[in-house]
Amino acid sequence: MTEKKPNPADLSGAYALNALGADEKADYEAYLAGSDEARTEAAELGDTALALGLAADPVQPSAGLKANLMAQLASTPQLSPLPVPEAAPADQATPADQATPEAGVVVTAVAPPAAASAEPSTRRSAAADRAQRRWFQRPAGMLAAAAAAVALFVGGTVVGQALNPNQFEQQQAARLAEINAAPDSQRAATTTTDGHPATLVWSGELGLSALMIKDLPALASDEDYQLWYMNDDGAVPAGTFDSTGSGTVWRVLEGTMHAGDQVGVTVEPQGGSPQPTSAPIVAIQS
Amino acid sequence: MLVLMTADSTYDLESTAPATKEELLGRIAQGDQAAFGELYDQIAPRVLGLVKRLLVDHAQSEEVTQEIFLEIWQTATRYEAKRGGASTWIMTMAHRRAVDRIRASQAGRDRDTKIGIRDLVAPYDHVSETVEVRIEHERVKKAMSRLTELQREAVSLAYYGGFSHSEVAERLQIPLGTVKTRLSDGMIRLRDELGVAS
Repeated sequence: MTEKKPNPADLSGAYALNALGADEKADYEAYLAGSDEARTEAAELGDTALALGLAADPVQPSAGLKANLMAQLASTPQLSPLPVPEAAPADQATPADQATPEAGVVVTAVAPPAAASAEPSTRRSAAADRAQRRWFQRPAGMLAAAAAAVALFVGGTVVGQALNPNQFEQQQAARLAEINAAPDSQRAATTTTDGHPATLVWSGELGLSALMIKDLPALASDEDYQLWYMNDDGAVPAGTFDSTGSGTVWRVLEGTMHAGDQVGVTVEPQGGSPQPTSAPIVAIQS
Repeated sequence: MLVLMTADSTYDLESTAPATKEELLGRIAQGDQAAFGELYDQIAPRVLGLVKRLLVDHAQSEEVTQEIFLEIWQTATRYEAKRGGASTWIMTMAHRRAVDRIRASQAGRDRDTKIGIRDLVAPYDHVSETVEVRIEHERVKKAMSRLTELQREAVSLAYYGGFSHSEVAERLQIPLGTVKTRLSDGMIRLRDELGVAS
């Protein structure tokens, strides 16, 4: 008995055990979306995996962990609920995939360097607006949810060049979550030359930083904002981005942050420059 | 809704009042920090227990546990009780984040050099403090004993070892299709032994 095509039903065990790669997982969830029976089985096997999880010996966390968490809640935005159209079964897919970041997208107006023509910023919806309003109110938050995504990077270096916008957002969000969760995470706030609030969060241990700016004006289409790490040796380019003009735009800087680096933003011709060609609109000392 | 017939009721003790995790998640979705604290107290040791089972290193496990609870805070708005119990939602998230950490970082390799594979797959290596946990261990252990040895090995490597099915295939030097079958047959057998039903 030979099978020509892999039968998705064979993946039910691996799926419940979280042993699938990202692609296979997506395929399997597409299969689940179309089958009530498969969804029931997936839920049952998920509960079976829970029994395995609860059979691990409990470990008491250190007291500091809870205190630390509670202190972060106020500045951590909650995602807006996924808009759930109650109708088609196809919309009730992916029982175990609650954490995809697609709807409450907080990453706005950020164009991946290698896919600069794609414009994720055009995706606007009521949910995204709502999420963004929350983000304003608590701009210092993070999007840990998306760290769930896939392990797209290794040791702080981007793997693969041509990420699509969605992967790029997930990667950015995952890194921001990492920075925020790092034991040595720090932040500093200032304003741009136009008076827009800007916040830098960084972790020296990770060598990563992220900059968020509120209501940064949109640029002409032949211009980009460019990020820089600046120190005594000069300026090192750290990625480009654009802004829709409203909401908080943020971006995890490319490259490695070194202790004492300043992070700056300049306006550059589209695609960025090897060295700054204009005065920074904002500079923050890490 | 699916109910894991015995395991969860041991903890929720619905009649004697501490709020259920489902209720707490509902309140957390409204931004209720006290509810978050309560949920944390209820389930943090289980989350950390599972994460540490996979990552071994205590400091890293606490770090990942912190990320998991922040994710709970952020995404409680998207939890839907009709799709499954709160414990399943939380522990699935915990397992996923632990596995992400293993796959994304040095953590996995460090762990693999620190301990042998045999330790990875033996989930019952400690004498547990509480009766509930011991009963649960016994239940799972008994159910696991009904699997064939090959199924048990594959399921343990995937779940407690955090290996993907292709990694399991590689380690055991068997075809991927065989691993898929062992994992599915093993999980279905476990489900039936544990009496998980919809």
